[in-house]
Amino acid sequence: MVDYLYDGTFEGLMTCIYHHYKKERAAGIYEMSNYQQSLAYPSEIVETDILKAKTVSDAINSKISKEAYISVYYCYLSNDANKENIILEFLIFAFKYGKNTMNFYTHEKVLPVNEIYKRVAREEHRVLGILRFSDIGGILYAKYSPDNDISVLLADHFADRYKYEKFIIFDEKRKKAVVYADNVWEIKENINIDNVEFSSNEDMIHRLWKQYFTDLAIKERKNIKLQFQFAPARYRKNMTEFI
Amino acid sequence: MAMDDDLFEKLKILSDAAKYDVSCVSSGVERKNNTVGGIGNAPAAGICHAWSSDGRCISLLKILLTNDCIYDCKYCLNRVTNPIKRATFTPEEVAELTIQFYRRNYIEGLFLSSAVEKSPDHTMENIYRVLELLRYKYNFWGYVHVKIIPGASPLLVKKTGMLADRVSVNIELPTKESLSLLAPQKRVENILQPMSLIHNEIAGAIEDKRHFKNAMRFVPGGQSTQMIIGATPDTDKTILDLSQNLYDKFRMKRVFFSAYIPVMSSPNLPALSTMPPLLREHRLYQADWLMRFYYFNSSDLFTENEPNLDLEFDPKLMYALRNIDKYPIEINKASYEELLRIPGLGVTSAQRIIRERKNAQISYDSLKKMRTVLKRAKYFITVKGKYYGNVKLDPEAIKAQIRMKEIQRQISIFELL
Repeated sequence: MVDYLYDGTFEGLMTCIYHHYKKERAAGIYEMSNYQQSLAYPSEIVETDILKAKTVSDAINSKISKEAYISVYYCYLSNDANKENIILEFLIFAFKYGKNTMNFYTHEKVLPVNEIYKRVAREEHRVLGILRFSDIGGILYAKYSPDNDISVLLADHFADRYKYEKFIIFDEKRKKAVVYADNVWEIKENINIDNVEFSSNEDMIHRLWKQYFTDLAIKERKNIKLQFQFAPARYRKNMTEFI
Repeated sequence: MAMDDDLFEKLKILSDAAKYDVSCVSSGVERKNNTVGGIGNAPAAGICHAWSSDGRCISLLKILLTNDCIYDCKYCLNRVTNPIKRATFTPEEVAELTIQFYRRNYIEGLFLSSAVEKSPDHTMENIYRVLELLRYKYNFWGYVHVKIIPGASPLLVKKTGMLADRVSVNIELPTKESLSLLAPQKRVENILQPMSLIHNEIAGAIEDKRHFKNAMRFVPGGQSTQMIIGATPDTDKTILDLSQNLYDKFRMKRVFFSAYIPVMSSPNLPALSTMPPLLREHRLYQADWLMRFYYFNSSDLFTENEPNLDLEFDPKLMYALRNIDKYPIEINKASYEELLRIPGLGVTSAQRIIRERKNAQISYDSLKKMRTVLKRAKYFITVKGKYYGNVKLDPEAIKAQIRMKEIQRQISIFELL
C-alpha cells in the first residue's frame, strides 16, 4: 500500500483513485503541499491525468449514481482536513454496492460524505444570497471568504443572472476569482485584488440599501440571535448592510 | 433617476409602510435569463438575501408605491384620517431602484404593494406600469410579486397577471363581520372576485401550456393572501378553516398570518399596550404547514370545545396526545403519511427513513445518525418493536415528561452562565 499525493485538483484526486484500482492500493490520499511523511507507508506523487480522471468520474456516474458523483465533488470542494480519505473510503464502498449506495444514508462510509455535502451545499445556497456586488466602472465586483471552495459552484448562477454584465467574484481566502464576460466564465488562481475604486453613485446606492435594511426591521419583533443564525458574524465583513 | 435626498425620504416612508406585510417569498418559479440584453432569473427554491434585526428574511425589495390612501381601515397606519407624512414613488423610480439593488445581489426582485390612491383602477394602473417598465424597458426577469387592488377592473388584473410571478389579494380579516367592523369600505365580494379570476386564469394558462409550448404564462408563482391575527376576536379554527377553503377552492400557494401590532387606539381594537400575539402566529404557521405538507386537514386540529390552538405545545404534538390510541407508530412499518404524523419528525426525516428502510431495518441509533430530532418523537414511536419513551403511553404522563425535560434544559443553561 502507498500514500498517493496529488496536486489539489479534482482531476488529480480522481487520478489517485484510478491508481488505487489499477496500480497499487492506496493507504491514503493527501494533497502534496500539506503531506507529512508517514512511517507506515511510502508515498508516491501522482501526476494528474485527465483521461484517467475521466474514466473514474464516468464510472462514478454510471456504476454508482449521479447523486454520488455530486456528493463526491462537493466533498472535494470542502474544507474538511480528511476529505480525500473520506472520498476514498466512500468510493471503495460505493463501487461494491453500486446503484444502491446512496440508500445507505447512515452507513459509516457514506454518512461522512453526506454530512460534508450538506455543509457545502448549505454554504453555496447561503452565499447565492449574501454575496454583495459593487459597481466598479461598469464591472460588478464581489469579494468574499467562504469556508469551502465554492466559487466554481456560484459561477453558472451569476453568469445566467448577469448575462450581459461583466463580473468578478473574488475569494480573498484562496486568492482566486471567477471572472465573467461575454457568456464565458473562468477561474483565475493566485491573484490579488485590492484598492478597487467604486463608481460615482455607488456610495449613494450603498446608503439607500443600508437605510432600507435598517428601516425594514420591526422593533416589536427584534430577534438578534435569529439574525446571527442566518447571517453569521464571519460573513458580515463583506455584506454591504453591515459595513 | 435622480438619486437625491427626496428619494431617501420616499424610500424611508414607503418601506416603513410596507414592512408589516409578511410575505417575502421568492420561490416557486424557475426561469432562466433568456432574452437578449436581459437581466435576472428565478431559481425555483427562492433565495434569501439578508436578514433584518428581527430575524426576518429579506428576499424582495418590499415597498409601497404610495401610502396615500382613500380608505379608512381602523387597523391600518395609512388610513386617510391618520395625520402622517405621505409619499408616492413614480413607476420609474421603483423600477430603477429594483434594478440597482438587483445588480448588487441585494434582492431577488420586487414585492410591490400600495395604498389605494384616488381609485382602485388608478392604483392598479400604476402598479402595472412598474411591471411593464421592468419587463420591457429593463428586460428584467427576476421575481416580481404585486398586490392586486380589490375593485380594480378585471382587464387590468389580467394584464398584471401576465407579467407578474406572483400576485396577492389581501383578505385582511377572517370574517365578514370583522371586515365590516374594521374596514367598512372594503367589501368581501371585491376581495373574492379577483381571487377567483386569478384562479381561473392560472388554471387556463396551465391547460394551454399542455397544448402549446409557448403559451402565455399567468402568475407562475401562484397567488397568496394575508390576514391579520389578533385584531379581532376570531378563533384559530375560523382562521384555519378559511385557510383550508382558500387552499382547496382557489389553489392558494400561501396564506400568510400577521400578528397585529397595535398602532393606534380605537374602541374596536385591542389596547395600544397589547403585545403582538407572536406565539399564536407561530402556532398558526405550524398548523398551516401541517395542512400543506403533512396531509392534515384543519378539522384534525381542533375539538368541539377547543377552537384555538394550544400555546404551550405545538399542533402536531397536541394532535398526537388527543389521538394517543393511534400511537406508538413503528418506524420500520409505517407508511409515509403515518411517519409524518409523528411529532417532531419532518418531511426530510420521513423521506430518509423510507429510503434507508429499503436496505435494512432501522435501529434507534441510525435514527440518531440521520439527525432525526427525537426529543418529541421518542414518546410516539417504536423502533424494531421497542418503545424508547421511558414513560407510560399516556397523554398526561408524556406532557409531564416534556415539561420536566424543558425545565432541566433551562437549569442546565442557567448553570452554564
